[in-house]
Amino acid sequence: MRKNYPLTAAQKMHHNWILKYKTQQVSGVSVVASLQAALDFGLLKKCIQLEFERYGCMRIRFTKPDAKGEVKQYIVAKESRDIPLKDLSGMSLAEADALMQQWAYDTFDGDDIPLCDVTMMKLPEGYNGFFIHMDHRLIDSCGLVVMINDLMQLYTHYKFKSEYPADLADFEKVLEKDLKRANNEKRFAKDKKFWDDQLDALGEPLYSDIQGTAVLEEARKKHKDKKLRAADIELENLFVDVKDYILEPEPTRNLIAFCMNHQLSMTNLLLLGIRTYLSKVNDGQEDITIENFISRRSTHDEWTSGGSRTIMFPCRTVISADTEFLAAAYEIQNVQNRIYMHSNYDPALIEEEMRRRYHTPEHTTYESCYLTYQPMPVKMDNPHLENIRQHSKWFANGAATKKMYLTVSHTPEGGMNFSYHYQTAHLQEHDMELLYYYMMRILFKGIAEPDMTIGEIMEQI
Amino acid sequence: MTKEMQFKTIVAQYCEVEPENITNEMRFREDLGFSSLDFMSFLGELEDTFDVELEEEDLVQVLTVAEALELMERLQEEA
Repeated sequence: MRKNYPLTAAQKMHHNWILKYKTQQVSGVSVVASLQAALDFGLLKKCIQLEFERYGCMRIRFTKPDAKGEVKQYIVAKESRDIPLKDLSGMSLAEADALMQQWAYDTFDGDDIPLCDVTMMKLPEGYNGFFIHMDHRLIDSCGLVVMINDLMQLYTHYKFKSEYPADLADFEKVLEKDLKRANNEKRFAKDKKFWDDQLDALGEPLYSDIQGTAVLEEARKKHKDKKLRAADIELENLFVDVKDYILEPEPTRNLIAFCMNHQLSMTNLLLLGIRTYLSKVNDGQEDITIENFISRRSTHDEWTSGGSRTIMFPCRTVISADTEFLAAAYEIQNVQNRIYMHSNYDPALIEEEMRRRYHTPEHTTYESCYLTYQPMPVKMDNPHLENIRQHSKWFANGAATKKMYLTVSHTPEGGMNFSYHYQTAHLQEHDMELLYYYMMRILFKGIAEPDMTIGEIMEQI
Repeated sequence: MTKEMQFKTIVAQYCEVEPENITNEMRFREDLGFSSLDFMSFLGELEDTFDVELEEEDLVQVLTVAEALELMERLQEEA
């Protein structure tokens, strides 16, 4: 008999965005992974079909929404379908990428349908591989990287007799454990207390915008409330553009060394860079909230079960201008560590609690910036493939639920890629240029002189 | 299974070391490769498994497996 499960908090986050923005497009995730080598497509097809068997999250489906818009999930035992092959080898790589970008905008519309498409690809310049298009409620980017590696390990096993990949954790078992934990009343009460205590201690958050105080002022005028502390969310024009900046290997090494020497995580350093910029352009505002995504993967089972485990929580800090850079970084780290301990909580409940307490108008927010630090590159980590050139690329789904969403990842050359996704309804490329420029100035000034205060750094950059 | 082995079995889920190879002197971050997220998630799991409540000031002191074990035992006795 089919077993239906409720959605986890991480899945609900994506599901709620679909309901709020009225399109499944906001939940699309797409990636191409390819090698500059001839591939045996018959074998690749077999491996992809085997991957559907091994990686349970690829077989998740959702029921028809009930009256409240809620759905249940279930895992079908078998996904038997053909895996198509598309030949784009006659195009340039840029043209092929542009076409795949269009595919990334496709939506999965309907209930009880497969939400994972894999297409084998013949690409220009001798690259061959596969394009994966999925619903984010099934998988997050870490899960996709694990899947790509597992798939290629299957391929090299059958092709080159390499070792068969280790078993992946059973998605359903991990899901059951997650749901059990979320339903643990004692745990829930502790998590709720943590988030409520933060509001008790700090009061209502205050919006800070990348473009400065004018945005909040405009919201105050619109809602005829001079004391409003939240600003409007764009719901109509969701078009997103992407601007990538590469930080070279040497400065990247300096950031990493600073983190290691001071036992700081890169996420917290990046959060400090963003929050200092926001403070600078918002008249020195000390109370700043940034949404930070956490990939809730710690145990071996969590790492290999797939699924959508990434979830965002508000990282709120009140840091005065006379705080030294390093002390500010530790302050953020303390907040983040406490958040990690309470990251089983459903962030929608935090939002609900704030609405209940502060009666903010519908569709307003306290945050303009969202951060994901992605330490894992999309790289096929396989000794049989290490001397083969790879072409891998994430494709944006084209519909941003967030004003500015920064993904920071590592490049194969040892640098870092800062990928800014921004809603074009309100932001321009120039805003991203400024943000990146000042973020770098803040971070490198701070790591060079960690006892300099945040106020001094804001003044000097 | 002894409480110590039960504890080390949980630790082993978060790292690539078998429970029987986890020694009490091992440090969570340096020797077992725990990230901040791993460590905090691990503590949450300990709370649920051993039905104890960890206080922030206690956690600051915990660097090694032995220190975490001692803390767990103390909290269980106090409960």
